[in-house]
Amino acid sequence: MVDTPKVAVLFGFGINCDRETAAVFELAGAVSERVHVNHFVNGEKDLSQYHILAVPGGFSFGDHLGSGRLLGNRMRFAMREQLAAFVAAGKPIIGICNGFQVLVKTGLLPGKEVPDFEQRASLTLNNSGRYEDRWVTLEFDPESPCIWTKGITRIECPVRHGEGRYVMPASSDLDELDANNQIVTRYVDPSTEVGQGITDETLPFPLCPNGSIRNIAGICDPTGLVFGLMPHPEAAYATFLHPEHTRSDVNEEILAEGMQIFRNAVQYVQANL
Amino acid sequence: MKDVRGDSVKRQLAADYNIDISTVRSIVGFLISSDIDSIQIGERVDDVFADPIIEESSTNTLHLNNSELFPQSPDMVITIGFKPGVTDNPGKAALDGFLTIFPDAGVGARVSTYITYVFSGVPEEVEAEWLSKQLHNALIEQALFSVRGDDFPRIEYSPVEPSDYASPATIDLEISDDELMKLSEEGLLALNLEEMQTIQAHYRNPEVRSARAELGLPQNAPTDVELECLAQTWSEHCKHKIFAAHIHHVDTETGEDTEIDSLFKTHIMNPTLEMKDEVDWLLSVFHDNSGVIAWNDDWSICMKAETHNSPSALDPYGGAMTGIVGVNRDILGTGLGARPIANTDVFCFGPPDWEGDLPENLFHPSRVLRGVHAGVRVGGNESGIPTVNGAIVFDDRYIGKPLVYCGTIGMMPRRLKDGRESHEKNPLPGDRVYMVGGRVGYDGIHGATFSSLELTEESPSSAVQIGDPITQKKMVDMILEARDACLITCITDNGAGGLSSSIGEMAEYTNGCKIDLGKVPLKQEGLSSWEILVSESQERMTVAVKESDVPAFEALADLHEVEATWVADFTNTGLFHVVHNEDTVASLPIEFLHDGVPQLRLESEWKKPVHPLFTPPEGANHTPILLEMLSRPNIASKETWVRQYDHEVIAQTAIKPFVGVERDGPGDAGLLAPIHGSTLGLVVSNGISPRYSDIDAGAMAAAAVDEAVRNAVCTGVDLTKIAGLDNFCWPDPIESVKTPDGRFKLAQLVRANRELERICRAYFVPCISGKDSMKNDYGSGEKKISIPPTLLFSLFGNHPDVRYTTTSDLKPGESLYLVGESKQELGASELAFMFKESGKADGIGGEVPQLAEPEKNLASYKALTKAIQSGIVRTAHDCSEGGVAVAVAEMCIGGRCGAAIDVDGPGDADLWGRLWGESLGRIIVGVKQQNRAEFINVMKGNSLTYLGETIDGDTLGIWDGDELIIEAKVDEMVSAWKGSLDMTGGDQ
Repeated sequence: MVDTPKVAVLFGFGINCDRETAAVFELAGAVSERVHVNHFVNGEKDLSQYHILAVPGGFSFGDHLGSGRLLGNRMRFAMREQLAAFVAAGKPIIGICNGFQVLVKTGLLPGKEVPDFEQRASLTLNNSGRYEDRWVTLEFDPESPCIWTKGITRIECPVRHGEGRYVMPASSDLDELDANNQIVTRYVDPSTEVGQGITDETLPFPLCPNGSIRNIAGICDPTGLVFGLMPHPEAAYATFLHPEHTRSDVNEEILAEGMQIFRNAVQYVQANL
Repeated sequence: MKDVRGDSVKRQLAADYNIDISTVRSIVGFLISSDIDSIQIGERVDDVFADPIIEESSTNTLHLNNSELFPQSPDMVITIGFKPGVTDNPGKAALDGFLTIFPDAGVGARVSTYITYVFSGVPEEVEAEWLSKQLHNALIEQALFSVRGDDFPRIEYSPVEPSDYASPATIDLEISDDELMKLSEEGLLALNLEEMQTIQAHYRNPEVRSARAELGLPQNAPTDVELECLAQTWSEHCKHKIFAAHIHHVDTETGEDTEIDSLFKTHIMNPTLEMKDEVDWLLSVFHDNSGVIAWNDDWSICMKAETHNSPSALDPYGGAMTGIVGVNRDILGTGLGARPIANTDVFCFGPPDWEGDLPENLFHPSRVLRGVHAGVRVGGNESGIPTVNGAIVFDDRYIGKPLVYCGTIGMMPRRLKDGRESHEKNPLPGDRVYMVGGRVGYDGIHGATFSSLELTEESPSSAVQIGDPITQKKMVDMILEARDACLITCITDNGAGGLSSSIGEMAEYTNGCKIDLGKVPLKQEGLSSWEILVSESQERMTVAVKESDVPAFEALADLHEVEATWVADFTNTGLFHVVHNEDTVASLPIEFLHDGVPQLRLESEWKKPVHPLFTPPEGANHTPILLEMLSRPNIASKETWVRQYDHEVIAQTAIKPFVGVERDGPGDAGLLAPIHGSTLGLVVSNGISPRYSDIDAGAMAAAAVDEAVRNAVCTGVDLTKIAGLDNFCWPDPIESVKTPDGRFKLAQLVRANRELERICRAYFVPCISGKDSMKNDYGSGEKKISIPPTLLFSLFGNHPDVRYTTTSDLKPGESLYLVGESKQELGASELAFMFKESGKADGIGGEVPQLAEPEKNLASYKALTKAIQSGIVRTAHDCSEGGVAVAVAEMCIGGRCGAAIDVDGPGDADLWGRLWGESLGRIIVGVKQQNRAEFINVMKGNSLTYLGETIDGDTLGIWDGDELIIEAKVDEMVSAWKGSLDMTGGDQ
């Protein structure tokens, strides 16, 4: 039994959402530590001592040569065994924004039951050609094995990226993902009824902010432990971060819907590890 | 697969030049110089250089020759790469990735990058050379092109040539005054005769001579290293000589004839120091890289704003990027190291739709806008610092020199673990001095002085620099860890003047230093001693470390892959002592270096400018005027630009640049909750109103301060803890042949300073850090373009609880009130400029907004913040450019709702003044029906006028008593307001 899960939040080389990612895990009841990538590479820190791994957003290596590619390579080549062992131990991993891009480029997402570190998908330039910061509405597959998203139907949170368009070479690959319920979360039209928003047809800009195929915002691996998404749920951790928080009377409650993703992982570790 | 890079070029050409090209495709290229052969590289190319899922790759052949990928011969091909020595960030990242795969690639391995655009369906009239000029900047990039049937361009790897090393020279100063000035001008020293004579006199001092003899230096003449070092340290940039000058000021209006001993001391420093005696939260003012205030017992906050005008005129992208990452370093270099938590950006440009003449060597304003925006976007976003507030101001005169103000807020723990207060530096003699981050190169030598020369394609690439946010981000991560581990005794930024300034300034603490230039890591071999000392190469901090902490400090640098090199030691010899390996190349007394510069004596004379009076046309229909005003670039939505900044990284931004139902209404100020889980807030806001200078620069300054305060008031700021930054950008105010109207421009500066002091004292806003840029002119004689004297006033302050705040969007069921009074003040208003530009008015003259009784304004601001902090007000909007009509229209846009208001209120302003006047001290407030009584009670004793109500419909109706003056649909207002600066060419 783990009472207080330990979370390793990667930082260094241009990762820049490490502080808030560490903070939301703490608010969800875990203990977070910001760990420099090189501390795992040089062996000074041991990944197996942690229960959750978070790869936060940012611009690792400036996203030159494609978003997440160079940090993905460092992990693919220098942390391969540690990562494989972490997944084999049934421990959850999340990649947010640049972290999602990194997990896709390392091959951990969409991945295989046993990681083979083969890249199968990519996240590339938004159809608009622009980096943008805007709030989106996400809906979640209730049948997904993803341990991070249990009980969540719809949330709002910001996207902040220039390369968030999910692509896979063949539509059969997407069908397979869909069949496995690995397409965890998608951009939806907020005017649809809650729970009825998911559609395969790519929504117009800015509802789908990047032109992602089937409106994909986030996916998980077949085990449901490894989860990556372009939007930033950690940036929706508090009620006062919502762009319309002044449109109602003051809400005394501080924590908001973005927290549930992090709580789910903490509770999963408490129940299963 | 969609080629987004190519599509973006296609859309931009359509948006800027109305050129329709059928397709544009892009090829990214890498030129590799290493010990690894191309076959091996070819096998791994998809592991580093190409994404196998979405890209095609090839090695050692031109992609264009692949007929499967390019079945048809293109119309034009343009290949663009950096000139040798220019910062190539993708190349640097590619090298890092390359070395991950090939660790044995050799120490000399290098990668440079290029991009090739392939055009098909190009209209006949478009020439390849013209097209290539639109896509590259010849100052830093090279472009090759081919047209139909030519051989495709092939770019070659060009290594950086070593620089020509020159041994330190002795400069004879025993020459005539004319020759002294010639030396200053030809050597780009920018020193005046009196300053040159002061240096000359120093070397005649017998004590100085005997001390120099002992060190083996030329006894009676400076080395080039010393002269360059003095020129940097005594530059206007570093010493603010105009603000420190002795001024003889004459006012022909009032007959005043006075002497002013330093505008800075008189109007900025002394008022702040007097305020410092009254409060306990002003921790560090003026002497550090930014001013620091105590936020609470645990945290202190600091803020700095800088300008990067000249570099941004030459290379908008690189200039602006170095501006933003540079001011971030000012924060990192404050105290023992503060963490940058938010950026603000304020730009002043020529009109983006400018169709008039463009002086030689200047970019079109739309290109300046695109480049500056991209530089700040990349610099801010990649550094993980949110851009929370800003403005873009347009005026014809900024064509000559754009203004690029970059500001940053930082925070740090009040005390470190070892008990030291973080806002104080405490180096001791014997501490080691490290240069951390980037290397020193030929880029950035005399960067500032190049800006005054004419630039051509042959200009050296050293004239401009490009920032490298990732190198800097690694350095920031490392330094903040070093700070928290208590390893730092002193830290400062390497900006203007390079090591000469950074170590020289820090050496004042211990009264001496000894620098070894031979230890400084270089980007290219062969730099001369003086070049290493004054180079302004980017991404460098200077950090002092106790000897016992050296191992821990160096280990942290290794972990973060940051270069940290021991280059100097602090001493207490009283000397700024520089050696290059074995040889002493400079020795200057610290006191002479820092306090030796003579005070300037300047003449100032105020004559009231005469403008034809602005007279509005008779019988005008105000509804189309409203729509036209909403589409004026100074008022229109900047959404397509600002949305490209990350404004909420760090998960703390409680009021974003965009608010309201569709998240596109204007945010007045930034509101942050930087401590995760806490609702304690920080407010940041800006005020700028340069056109009022046309009538009175004093009024301009008062308006800037009032606007920054009003914006902060709209969030519910804690008015007992706010601090300001004065950032002056002026045309040259020193009378000379080149500047015959220097006395007037200096008088404008005097008036601006006097008003700044008066308003800051009245509002209790201490100015804790400031900056000035005093040479914002282009050309000379009749062709000279001088910017309007511009003060940016930035403000930051405490907010008790970010949940209790307002936004500008109207909410259903609100009553609207006007706080403050509308006066007949249409002089230099946006309305006046609009009518003058279209020839419907003779001029912009008249009463400019004045702030006669700031105490009254402050009282109403205090009452309003109290109402906001109690939760009864959720809607407030600053009333500035375009007056009440525009402000209410923006509130309807944000709320996507209609309103009916009556502007027939108290005061003697006519209808034009009440609708469009820009009187200061006004805020429009929306209050729910059930809170009206309480609100009116809180506001009792202050100027408050009931305006009207929100309505269910989708129309804004503005009445003057019984008469309906304006009737506009919300969606009409939305398209007018959002259309004019959307220069994206579409979203797909």
